[in-house]
Amino acid sequence: MSPHYIIALKNIIRSKQRSIVTIVLSAVSTAILIFSTALMDGEHKVLLKSAVEIYPGYIQITHKEFRENPSFDNLIFDTNSVINKIRQKDDVDTVTSRFETFVLFATDEKSVGAMLAGIEPESEAKVSKLKKSLMEGSYLDSDDKNKVYIGSELANKLKVKVGDVISFIGTAADYSFCADNVKVKGIFQSGLFEFDANSAFLNKKYFDEIFVSSNISTHIIVQPSVIEDSLDISQDISKSIDKELTSKSWQEYMQALVDAMELDSVFGYITLGIFFIVIFFVVLIYTLLSIFSRIKEIGVLRAIGTSPKEILQMLMFESVVLSFVSVAIGGIIGGAVAYYFNINPIDFGSQFDEQFKQYGLVNTLFPTEFNLLVIFRDMAIMFFLNILSTLYPIMKVNRYNPVEAMHHV
Amino acid sequence: MFDLIVKTAFLSLFRRKLRTFLVVFMVASSLWGLMFMQGIYDGMIEQMISNAIKSDSGEISIYAKDFRRDKDVKQYIKNYKDIEDYIKQNENIKSYTTRVLASGIIATAKYSKNANIYAVDLECEKEHAKLNGYIKEGIYGFGEKSKGIMIGFKLAKKLKLSLGKKVVLSSQNSDNEITSASLKVTAIIKTNNMGLDENGVFIDIKKAKEFLNIKGVSQVSIVFKDPGYMYAFQKEIIRDFKSKRLEVFRWDQLYPALMQSRKYMEMFGYISYMIVFLMATVGIFGVVLVSVLERLREFAILRAVGTRFGIISSIIFLESFLLAMAGFILGIIFGGGTLYYFSIYGLDLSAFSDALDEFGMDAVTYAIIKANYFITAFLAVMSATILSIIVPLKILYKSKPTEVING
Repeated sequence: MSPHYIIALKNIIRSKQRSIVTIVLSAVSTAILIFSTALMDGEHKVLLKSAVEIYPGYIQITHKEFRENPSFDNLIFDTNSVINKIRQKDDVDTVTSRFETFVLFATDEKSVGAMLAGIEPESEAKVSKLKKSLMEGSYLDSDDKNKVYIGSELANKLKVKVGDVISFIGTAADYSFCADNVKVKGIFQSGLFEFDANSAFLNKKYFDEIFVSSNISTHIIVQPSVIEDSLDISQDISKSIDKELTSKSWQEYMQALVDAMELDSVFGYITLGIFFIVIFFVVLIYTLLSIFSRIKEIGVLRAIGTSPKEILQMLMFESVVLSFVSVAIGGIIGGAVAYYFNINPIDFGSQFDEQFKQYGLVNTLFPTEFNLLVIFRDMAIMFFLNILSTLYPIMKVNRYNPVEAMHHV
Repeated sequence: MFDLIVKTAFLSLFRRKLRTFLVVFMVASSLWGLMFMQGIYDGMIEQMISNAIKSDSGEISIYAKDFRRDKDVKQYIKNYKDIEDYIKQNENIKSYTTRVLASGIIATAKYSKNANIYAVDLECEKEHAKLNGYIKEGIYGFGEKSKGIMIGFKLAKKLKLSLGKKVVLSSQNSDNEITSASLKVTAIIKTNNMGLDENGVFIDIKKAKEFLNIKGVSQVSIVFKDPGYMYAFQKEIIRDFKSKRLEVFRWDQLYPALMQSRKYMEMFGYISYMIVFLMATVGIFGVVLVSVLERLREFAILRAVGTRFGIISSIIFLESFLLAMAGFILGIIFGGGTLYYFSIYGLDLSAFSDALDEFGMDAVTYAIIKANYFITAFLAVMSATILSIIVPLKILYKSKPTEVING
């Protein structure tokens, strides 16, 4: 090892105060960055998962005009053949169809407009949280007739309970008028107020009789075997289905929500940026103090023939060692905390429940996201920030000539 | 003596210009960042609150008893004229409006969706809610014979509605009969109140009363000259209308999520200041400590010739104070200036407009400036000053002048 590197190591040990402050500050900030990123990513994942899994599903197939113009002219008219085609794919777990429409529900006293959807009860239970959200009564069966599964808030509005009968009027798929009486079989509560206040479901076989929608649907929902592959699978499905239809993964049809999460991350990083400005200056100040306290030594080294390049190497080596140690310690601490809260999610429930409801969050438990790649990325950012903060003092001291340095007061 | 303290402190700071500059820059930049962040974040929350107050709740909303629990059109305020007379006598009230609220279904030829009906008097809303300012497309009015309807932009998008299109609005009237009206879209509105934009439709209040067969109103929304007065007013009106089957809510009771957001931001602001200034304290501490250690001999001579320790500690305190105050002044000038700029011109985040709609936020955020920002910043800087000199003073106090001078 070059003697300059040995001097650098000795300097680290000798300037204990500076070394400790640099290591502690950098380690703490690395740990903060890793934990904040893990918490932010975890929050976003929970929010998106919650938004997707309550009802919409990971991949939606619709008529390509349906999103822009959700009329009965833009339906999936040969649902069974599309479903059969998709079911043959290895990376698909479940496929189900839905027919969504809006009707006016009425009891003797009340009438309320809400969504009524025909669903395939068994396969629907695998792609959404509808079945798991059961609060009273029971979930739908595939041979149910005249039985409705209704949101808790909608049941409150209509003042009905399990066993009561409600009427609805709406428009069938052939634009004819349709109406029926149905008995409340079950009441669900997803926790998402808007959804619970505006949704009711019928067994699709029965729904099709009333709404003249046999083999017709508004949506086909696909649950991929690996949810992280939703985008790729959706693109693959798009290629294999009729050109009239389109397949969109949740990242595409919930683009605004995905963007909202990105925007939230941007604000999060701006906030962290302010912390890092301070840390950057503190490390810079300590490096400056440490280097200038040794300026006479540096002058002597230069006087006995050490070149500015070797001084630069020596001081940079010192900086690299300190940065590496601090980032490694911070990485281990931050990673451990992120891992701990990944296993034991943080519960923000009691304090911010109303905020969660507003943004469609039904789960108040937030596991942090433990991702080694992201942790290494954050460690690398902190490492380079540390090196950057030491560059100016190193360059500054290297500008002195040996005589100036030795006589520096 | 005071001159000596000031002169010594200043000279010491000027002797190490680079260090002084770095500390001042560190304090100033962190203050600038913190103030900018707080002003913008608070601006976002306050805009959301303002949108909710203007477009819906007012600072106080009065409903018939149980209306909030069961939004039945029959649950209306029958004696609303008495309330109007009561309000008109109160000089603290800036504006008020009455509305009829109902739920229904809005249908086009091809599609239908549930809707929240807000039946309003447009002239009152113009003054009270500045509703005319929320028009995205179209005119502020219900057209001839009041057969127009103004629709939330997200609802209009879902129903593929544009100006001039006809819709059928159906609802249940007070006799439990389903009643419908054919209306023409006169305007599409964007309030950034998520409930209104997704499900809200505005129709004329007189037409709605006929249509729904009710003789009163569902809501009286009130805004005060001094927003703080709402707490007292809520108590007064509950007391004075005790027997009238009314319920009175403040905006924070109707929009608890927004109140939580405001509290969260306050807490977040204080924690951010604490963390940043703890770190800044470490930076100031390093500079003060080295400055003291470099001048141990100087201070020892001063003490040897009879200078009291109090004077020496005043010099060190003043050095630290001047460093922090210079940073504070620069920080609040730049921070305050930046916030002032963004309070006038706003921070344009239109590139994320879809994402902001998702949170019910405006695309242009106007920063706000609170006196609190400067007070918190000053307290943080002062705390940093005091904390950073404790250890250097202790070292100086323990040092023995004779030993230091001799060697």
